[in-house]
Amino acid sequence: MTNPAIEIPEKPPSAIMLQLGGVYAIWLREVKRAIRDRGQLIGGVSRPLLWVLIMGIGLNPYFRGEIYGEVRFVVPYTYLQFIFPAVILLNIMYTSVQSAVSTIWDREFGFLREILVSPLPRATILLGKILGGTTVALFHGSLVLALARFADITLTPLDILHGLALMFMLAFGLTSLGVVIANRVRSFEGFGVFANAVILPLYFTSSSIFPLDPSLTSAQTKLVYPEWLVMLVEINPLTYAVDALRGAFIHFYQFDPKLGPIVLVVMAAVFFLIALRDFQKA
Amino acid sequence: MTTAPVPAVKIEGVSKRYGRTLALDNVSFEVPPGELFALLGPNGAGKTTLLHILCTILRPDSGWALINGVDVIKNPVEGRRNIGIVFQEPSLDDRLTLYENLNFHGLVYGVPAALRRKRIDEMLALVELADWRERLVRTLSSGMKRRLEIARALIHHSRILFLDEPTVGLDAQSRERFWQYVHRLRNERALTVIVTTHYIEEVEGCDRVCIIDNGRILAQDSPARLKSAHGQELVRLVAREEAAAAEIAAAYADRVVRNDKELVLKSSGDAFTEALFARFGTRIRRLAVEEPSLESVFLSLTGRELRDQAAGARELTYEFGKRGGEHTK
Repeated sequence: MTNPAIEIPEKPPSAIMLQLGGVYAIWLREVKRAIRDRGQLIGGVSRPLLWVLIMGIGLNPYFRGEIYGEVRFVVPYTYLQFIFPAVILLNIMYTSVQSAVSTIWDREFGFLREILVSPLPRATILLGKILGGTTVALFHGSLVLALARFADITLTPLDILHGLALMFMLAFGLTSLGVVIANRVRSFEGFGVFANAVILPLYFTSSSIFPLDPSLTSAQTKLVYPEWLVMLVEINPLTYAVDALRGAFIHFYQFDPKLGPIVLVVMAAVFFLIALRDFQKA
Repeated sequence: MTTAPVPAVKIEGVSKRYGRTLALDNVSFEVPPGELFALLGPNGAGKTTLLHILCTILRPDSGWALINGVDVIKNPVEGRRNIGIVFQEPSLDDRLTLYENLNFHGLVYGVPAALRRKRIDEMLALVELADWRERLVRTLSSGMKRRLEIARALIHHSRILFLDEPTVGLDAQSRERFWQYVHRLRNERALTVIVTTHYIEEVEGCDRVCIIDNGRILAQDSPARLKSAHGQELVRLVAREEAAAAEIAAAYADRVVRNDKELVLKSSGDAFTEALFARFGTRIRRLAVEEPSLESVFLSLTGRELRDQAAGARELTYEFGKRGGEHTK
């Protein structure tokens, strides 16, 4: 500036610190909003209670590898143990996708503009937002772990670390998916309907509440289950996410153990990139 | 002085089209540092579009915009660092406290922690909101929210402040206070302020006024000079019956500025008014003589009155929706 009346600006912080500060600010805001949102927290607590304590315990006695008295295959776990990792997935899924509602909220109530005119690149803004949603979802997923003893699951610290890493990737991918949806749906109501239309079908076809038995050949599987159902389960990426979580918590895999983490990473990357592309265009 | 200071804001040949409507038609102007510059015009004149281009929410179809000599169209991130903005609609997070909103802003703009705390305290004190520091923003009145937004726009020590219709929706008292803060800020620090408004009384205190309508600049100068150049003493009258109005309009055809609910005539001084009275005095219900004002400047430049177009709540909501779609397309 050539105008002497204007004071000399302070030294601007380094570029990397600025980006980190920006991510932190946006992350902090997401987390604070989530903490203040009682409804979301109640949902996060009641959902696993329903699924584990009511549904899980209720169906537990019926979970046997027999059909019409004839033993076809054996899953060496109780139903409670089997469904436990899937309930974690469900809780993460709801919270992640719901956290994207704040994207719609920001657009509707003008806060988006405050963010858009800030000196942060769009990628930083998006990363902060998704990390915020991921953190909240990861927290809700961890709430389910408190029910482990009801499901007869003993967790070693290593299991928990392994599980948390997978849960983080899952939450990141699903939060990105939520943002992708929120970018396409403009209203709160529409988002609610759409989110439910995405969440439940994905959940039910992810082999979360019934197994595709690993000891059967694909021909046999198709004999036990209709072909279309097997196909739906196999093309659903969440099938592999649940499988990875099962591996971490009850050491049971239906598929190749390497497949789960790969699918999780790919999912996180793909949805993040789509969300970023949408956001850059905005 | 050998070199002129770098203009705080410079716009050159900016045009912007929405579909078939030309929102901005080859607009150019320059604002030197420290000036209080007003963009005056009715709704839909292109003021907000212009401001959105300056703060890089929108890209113009042609032309360029410089802020402190930085081309904000090529280099938006650098441009945004120097400006503070108060948008037409609130853009606070109303589920955070006042402090958290300001702290968020400071973090995003990379203000170091110690300085951030100091500035937040300073700014809250300045806009007299220090007592509300830990309250959620949703509990504030709209006037308080506006003040908080000014405070926020200055946390990163921006030297250029954009205010987009900052007083729309505020009551008269809050409006007056809002302007007191702006003037106080300008006394305390070197601050360039660019404000858009359609309230004529608000631009009287500005250094320079740019009158804009249908995306074109009609005139720009200090309020005093605008008044002497384009201002006009006016006579506003309502006749007793339609026939009389028609007769008066016919008698002074070359002086008629407007003729609908009331008849507005250009006056050439007291003699004109006296002559008018002598001839039609008995057939006039109401008559007022108006000193040259910015209102009359606008009227004589556009043939319309600003207040004809004052925003109702409906238009505002509609505009908001329209703009909400703008940057999310």
